[in-house]
Amino acid sequence: MKMACSINITPNKVVINGKELHYTERGEELLTAIYRSQINDYPKFFKMDSLCRLGFVASELLLNGELDRFKPREDRAIVFFNSSSSLCNDENYQKTIQDKNNYFPSPAIFVYTLPNIVTGEIAIRNKYYGETSFYVLDRLDIESMEQIINDTFQDLTTKSVLGGWLDCKDKDHFEAHLFLIKDEETSNLPNWDKTIINKIIYSKQ
Amino acid sequence: MNEAILELKRQIIEVLNLEDISPEDIDENAPLFGGGLGLDSIDALELIVLMEKNYGIKLQDPAEGKAVFKSVAVMANYIEKNRTK
Repeated sequence: MKMACSINITPNKVVINGKELHYTERGEELLTAIYRSQINDYPKFFKMDSLCRLGFVASELLLNGELDRFKPREDRAIVFFNSSSSLCNDENYQKTIQDKNNYFPSPAIFVYTLPNIVTGEIAIRNKYYGETSFYVLDRLDIESMEQIINDTFQDLTTKSVLGGWLDCKDKDHFEAHLFLIKDEETSNLPNWDKTIINKIIYSKQ
Repeated sequence: MNEAILELKRQIIEVLNLEDISPEDIDENAPLFGGGLGLDSIDALELIVLMEKNYGIKLQDPAEGKAVFKSVAVMANYIEKNRTK
């Protein structure tokens, strides 16, 4: 497997393909700043929970400039991992139902109380009709991520995977380490394996 | 602008997270759904919650909701006639 590109987003930093994009905003304001400066054509962004906002802007930066960007395709899978599931939004939803005298469950918040909503949002945006999965692990387990993503290529359809770690504890604590991985053994792209995953994740904190 | 309609527009913008839209941008006589606001079925559910939370109005029949949410003006008129708080 080959790595076509990578992105890291933390509350303080955005690094795409090894180059830092400079923003003064921090935390969720950083995600909004990225949206306004680099995307700005998808108002649904403002309805998303923090995990979705993180995954959305990370995928947009990663895929920006790709040829035939929005051409419908079945050969690209989305496979994400984290350890916090949808906890950040679950807590927001809990606030709408914890007071029996002020019990107004929010449908707009409820729809994001699953981590895999973000994979659907990205698939809809990019017209991907392939595999989408979101695995909740007990920790950032690079060996499991590598194995699961490699297994994704075992079907007869998948030729590339948008995958990686996407974790959001709250508006000020999140991290995205995403990769575009291609099944192109003969290309000049770097190999995608746990060595390069480790290097990208742990050198950009 | 009628104060009740203005207030309702503000509430709709807030609960539906309509970023970059001001009350003046919303035509109170234009269709709420299927128009420029890009509202979907989840937004309709959120408007039902708004009606109950802010005005004490419980919409039980989905067909009734379709009529009530025809426009901001229709919604404001319905609220004025049926509000309990």
